[in-house]
Formats: sequence, C-alpha cells, structure tokens
Amino acid sequence: MAFIVNPDELARKRLFLILATPGNIRQCNTDLIKEVSGLGYHTVVITTNFPYTILTKLYGEQGVDLTKVSFIDAVTRNSIGSAVEIPGIVRFINNPANLTDMGIAVTEILKERSGQKVCILFDSISTLLIYLSSPNISKFIHFVTNKLRLMDISGIFLATEKGLDPMLMNQLTTFVDTVIDSG
Amino acid sequence: MTNREEPGCIEAGILENALVMIAVMEKSGTILAWNQAAEKITGYSKEEVIGKTTIWKKLYPKKEYRDTVTQQIATILTKKKYFENFETIITTRSGASRIILWNTKESSHKSGPLVVTVGQDITRLRQLDAFRDSVIENANVLITVMESEGKIAVWNKAAEEITGYSRAEVVGSRDIWKTLYPDSEYRRTVTRQITEIISTKSYFANFDTKIRTKTGASRVISWNTRQIGEDNQRYAIAIGRDITEQKKAEEALLAYMTEMAMRIQQPVGIVRDNLQDIAQLIRDGKLSKDEIAMLLDAQVRNAAQIGNNVQEFQKAILEENSEIPEAYRKFLEG
Repeated sequence: MAFIVNPDELARKRLFLILATPGNIRQCNTDLIKEVSGLGYHTVVITTNFPYTILTKLYGEQGVDLTKVSFIDAVTRNSIGSAVEIPGIVRFINNPANLTDMGIAVTEILKERSGQKVCILFDSISTLLIYLSSPNISKFIHFVTNKLRLMDISGIFLATEKGLDPMLMNQLTTFVDTVIDSG
Repeated sequence: MTNREEPGCIEAGILENALVMIAVMEKSGTILAWNQAAEKITGYSKEEVIGKTTIWKKLYPKKEYRDTVTQQIATILTKKKYFENFETIITTRSGASRIILWNTKESSHKSGPLVVTVGQDITRLRQLDAFRDSVIENANVLITVMESEGKIAVWNKAAEEITGYSRAEVVGSRDIWKTLYPDSEYRRTVTRQITEIISTKSYFANFDTKIRTKTGASRVISWNTRQIGEDNQRYAIAIGRDITEQKKAEEALLAYMTEMAMRIQQPVGIVRDNLQDIAQLIRDGKLSKDEIAMLLDAQVRNAAQIGNNVQEFQKAILEENSEIPEAYRKFLEG
C-alpha cells in the first residue's frame, strides 16, 4: 500500500503540508486517518469544515478505529450554538476564528496525551481563509508548528491546492518539513 | 568710424556692420571707434563716446562694481596683453543690464598701440542658461549629468534630497555609484543590465534599480538616460524618478487583490465543494435530518462570513481611495 506520508518521516516527528484537490480533500482526510491510525498513532483532528459527528460516521464507515481518534471541533458550536464536550473524544471551539481557544485546546489535548504516539491532523487551512486573514493564519500555524516541535509531535496540515497565495504558501512551506501534493 | 585716421573701406564696413560690439581705443581708454552694434547694445551713440573715456563710467555706473572690473582687468593685463572671454554686466543708457563677453586684442599703430575690444551680448544666452539651470535644479526628479568617465558634472536638488548626498560630495567624482549600490553583487547585476541595454541602444528607459540613501533607507528609482554632446565630449544625462511609494502602492494593491482572491474566490469554492459533499451524503442516505440541518447551517455561516469579508474589502477600498465618486461610494458602502 502506498502511503501519503512516509512512515519513517512520521516517526521522526516531521511536519507535513498536504495539498489536495477540492474534490479529493475529504477522501484524503479519511485516508490519512486510516494510515496514521494503522501506524499506531492517536490522531487529533482539528476540523474547521465538517462537524465531528459527521466525521465520526464517515470514519466508522471506512473502518477507522475510532478509539484512536479525537477531535477539536470548530464547526458544531458555530452551527447549532451549543454542544457538550466529551472528555478524550471531542472539544469544541465556538468558531474557527477563535485561534486563542484553538491554541489552548491543542496545548491541553497534547498534554493529556503526553507520552503517547500522537499526530495532529489540521483540516483545513483553506477553510480558515473564510474567517481569517492570511497573516493571522500564518501566525497561528507558526504557533502550532512551534508547539508541535517543542512537544516532539508530528503534524499534518491539509489545504486545497492552488488555494493559497504565493506569500502564504512560502511561509507555510518554511514552517513544515515536507510539502506533499496528493493531487 | 574713427576720428583719427580713416581705415580701408572694406575693413570699416566689416567693423561697422559686425553683429558684436567693437570698440577701438587708446591705451588710456579714449575711444577711437564705436560701431553700430555697440551703439545698439549700449544705447550710446558714436558722438557721445568717441574721443572720450567717460563711456566706461556710464557702462559701469556703480563705483564698487566698476572698481572690481578695473581690478580684474588690471590683474589679467599684468600677465598678458589681452583678455579673453571676460564677462561683465554693463548698464545701458535705458538703465537695463546686459551681460557682455569681452575679448581684446592689442595692435600696434604708427600713432601708438591700440586696443581692439570685441563685446558679445550674451544676456539671452545667460538667461537661457539660468532658465535651464533653474529647470534642472527645481525639477522634482533626480537629474545628473555624467562625463564620459562617469564623473558627475551635475547633481540637482532632487538628487540631493532623494539620495541624501550633497552636490559637494558628488560632483567631480564617480564614487557615488558605489555608495548608492553598496552591495557589490547587486552593483554588478545593475552594471551588467545597463551594459546590455547600452550595447543595443545608446539609452535606457524606465530602468528600475534600488539605491541605498545616506540614511541607509532603500529607495526604488526609475531611470531614463540620454547621451548628449559631440563625439569628443560626450555626456550622459540620467533622470531618476523616485517610485518607492508607487512601488509600495503597487505591492499593496497586489497583496490586497491576492488576499481578496484567496478570501473570496477560494472560500466560495469551499462552500460549493462542501455543498456537493453534503448532497452526495444525502443521496447516499448517510445523514439524519438534524445532521443535514447542521451541515447546511455551517455552510450558511460560511456564506455569511464571505459576505462580511466582501464588505470589509469594500470598506478598505473606500478608506484607501478618496477619489471614488459619491454614487459608487454609496453603492460600495451598501
């Protein structure tokens, strides 16, 4: 089976930026979860696009071991106003623009899972563009990647290809170790 | 023409009709000949001038200036018996000032040495020079003139203001280019580009370079050059327009348009793709009513946010550009 991310690089706690076509990005997300879970990682999905309930359903249908996935959900509360957090499974952010809360949630989840094989999957940088300017997105991704490096955690950032301007793309490229165009 | 001795008719005609003022005088300053041009330029007739020395006091009525001119002439005559291209300002009969360029020649005559003085009225020429200097000096673009070896001959006020280097620091030297382009690699690149352009045509137009000013600031200059002068004495005139602010505005506009494309076009695509995904999930019977509602709500919020983004951009456009007509301003304000 061909991997989207190289398992050796993942083991070396590398950071990846994966570019996918709009039509392929959902499937790419699911394939990555299966791949990373299969390698024994617990995946923390930061979702800014689809609510965790739907993602759970889709992952389940595709045979993903849901005990190895937890969520930071920036969609549900933004849509229906309230949602109860389930410890160890899902944390909610009021909306994708609330980067402070998102940063706190990332820090806390990583602390909770300290000592485990953890991988962060950020889906997606492109959706953040609806809510934030590119300088703010760049600052936030810089913050998250720094945190991941300090805590020695691997991370995968998803974005739609050709959706980022050259300046933002350049900056993101410097924050990660590998850029993969998954097509 | 002269009250002392009649010269030949031809010579007399030439002297009389010459377009420059010609005066023949004794060493004492007594005027022996005064041609038509002299009459016309000074306003003083032959009858008033010939046989007298008083004309010089009339032409230089201010004692202080007259003494200065006399002193200068005396100094020149200690070294040689004539003077060349000696410039003075005379006052004419009407009180007007004229700039005269004097050349003299001493000739011997049986009655004693005579001095032939030729005066060219260069007032108009000097006015044109002054006008040209004033244009160069007051232009709001950097103007410099270089001699063939690259030495700076002219460095106007705008050049001083833009670069921070004064005329005294620049004129007569070719070092300014090293100072303005301190990075040797960049300097080489610029020199190579200029050489390439010059090899195909003798000038360049709208050639942009980045200079370092005296304060260490970086400025973008758009250069236009022309070669002037004859083969044996060629100059290059370079006109540099400081386009730093224009460049910044262009970059800002580009950044603004890119951001706009990224934050409007791209998000609209995301909403479209999400809706396609949702439609497919519905067709596949994978979603409950509540889930469908939640997903659609999320897309509605996304769409609303895109709308807000558009309004933000419109507001930014209005703030940045005060020249937008009122009708469009109201439309953009929504």
